[in-house]
Amino acid sequence: MKGQVTLRLIMKDWRMNSPVIVLSIIGGAVALGVLLIGGETPFVLGAVFFFTSMIFCACILPLSSIVNERKKQTLAFMMSLPISATQYGTAKLVSTLGAFLIPWLTLIAAALYMILGRHVLPNGAIPITLILATVPFIGFCLITGTALVAESEGWGTAAIAVVNSSYWLAWYLLVSQAPSVTRTWNSRVAVWDSATVNILGAEFVSILLILGLTMILQSRKRDFI
Amino acid sequence: MSDYVIKIEGVCKSYRFFELDNIALQVPRGTIMGLIGPNGAGKSTTIRILMGLVHQDRGEVRVLGHRMPEGQVAAKWDIGFASDDMRLYGAMTLGWHLRFMQSIYNSWDARYAERLLKRFGLRAEQKIKGLSHGQRVKAALLLVFARRPKLLVLDEPTTGLDPVARHEILRELTEVMADEDRSVLFSSQNTQDVEQISDRITFIDRGHIIDSMDKEAYLDRWRRLRLEAPAGVALPALPGVIGIRQSGRLAVAISNAFEPHLPGAYENSGARVHAVENMTLEEIFVANVERSREEVEA
Repeated sequence: MKGQVTLRLIMKDWRMNSPVIVLSIIGGAVALGVLLIGGETPFVLGAVFFFTSMIFCACILPLSSIVNERKKQTLAFMMSLPISATQYGTAKLVSTLGAFLIPWLTLIAAALYMILGRHVLPNGAIPITLILATVPFIGFCLITGTALVAESEGWGTAAIAVVNSSYWLAWYLLVSQAPSVTRTWNSRVAVWDSATVNILGAEFVSILLILGLTMILQSRKRDFI
Repeated sequence: MSDYVIKIEGVCKSYRFFELDNIALQVPRGTIMGLIGPNGAGKSTTIRILMGLVHQDRGEVRVLGHRMPEGQVAAKWDIGFASDDMRLYGAMTLGWHLRFMQSIYNSWDARYAERLLKRFGLRAEQKIKGLSHGQRVKAALLLVFARRPKLLVLDEPTTGLDPVARHEILRELTEVMADEDRSVLFSSQNTQDVEQISDRITFIDRGHIIDSMDKEAYLDRWRRLRLEAPAGVALPALPGVIGIRQSGRLAVAISNAFEPHLPGAYENSGARVHAVENMTLEEIFVANVERSREEVEA
């Protein structure tokens, strides 16, 4: 037996998703470049495009990697390989998560460089940038989990619609319920108060819960095709 | 190891509008088993259960000695599976698919894959989305054949193919079987394909296995008798005759256990036997399905 089949599936998915990964990184980089122009309008445009690049990646990856596998009938080909439904689900989750984390971490690193290295924004913007950037990560997990468990284009699209329409509400609630986070965004130093740490903690716990629930539901399936 | 590559006993699976009921199927090592049934008969569900893709509600399934669905990972190393609704990645080339399979299977035979590429008229650099339906089917089967699996499970592989492509696929299947240790389960609605290559045949209809035996036994046992019953002569119900269709004085009797004395028995009852005809597999299949449905409805 040659290398792990699960690993081969992950590599295959990364190769197939490389255009989405590259596009998201280019989009986010261009958005950060707009910030360099300076002024209020470039700041708003740059920030909107920056988060839009993350949202684009969070929507397209689960669609192309999971929903399309069923829609384009390549799932039977994958399941003819020596893997179980649980292994397939694990491979999909790891490959899609990995494919999302590449642009997500790259864009966050680029944003931190713009703040710390180029001083486009004050250091106080770091906590709120991380809090806001983690919301598309949660959205990605919800869409991926729904696509994997429900295995239907309809449910996948519904999850995208719900998640996308919830972003602004989620961001508004985060900011309005934690005024200390927004109050300190233009301070010279990053302020890591309890509200900031609690929000970030809650975001990452949500991500772990969604991914864990997805794996549990996936492993309980009895009919796979 | 068991002499059967597939052994299914008492398998049931219920869906809202369909039920697979008490399925029993045995495929001896080194044989080609044809699974014939109309649309919605349960062929694909049976095959998905034996591949571990669908879990049975009840019953025991063993494939290559592995209990399914628990043993599906170990079993699938030695099973080559292709189905009518299976697609390859349209954006990738056939060469990419060949390399992908080669990276997984030790049993991959690169020389044989090259030979099949030429024989099927395929090119490795072609993208799958640029292939015709026939070429896509051939590409999928190439990926299966070149692995040299012990068991081939093919769910309607020839559906939608032109006669030349069908002939090429069936010829290749016959060559694959030159290795006596290989076995094939081949489902189809096309009785001609099944008749051409199968050793054993199983008929399935409405979620039930209605018959299963050697192909030659079917062709030997089934006969159609063309009879004439003069006025006042009633055709007797004879053992081995499963149905008589009468229109005026003329009648057709179908036997599924033909014995040489059967025509004489009709003659003795006062009827005239005009002809005793062999039946094609398609005719046997249709007669079998009709008999099964009549029994269920009765």
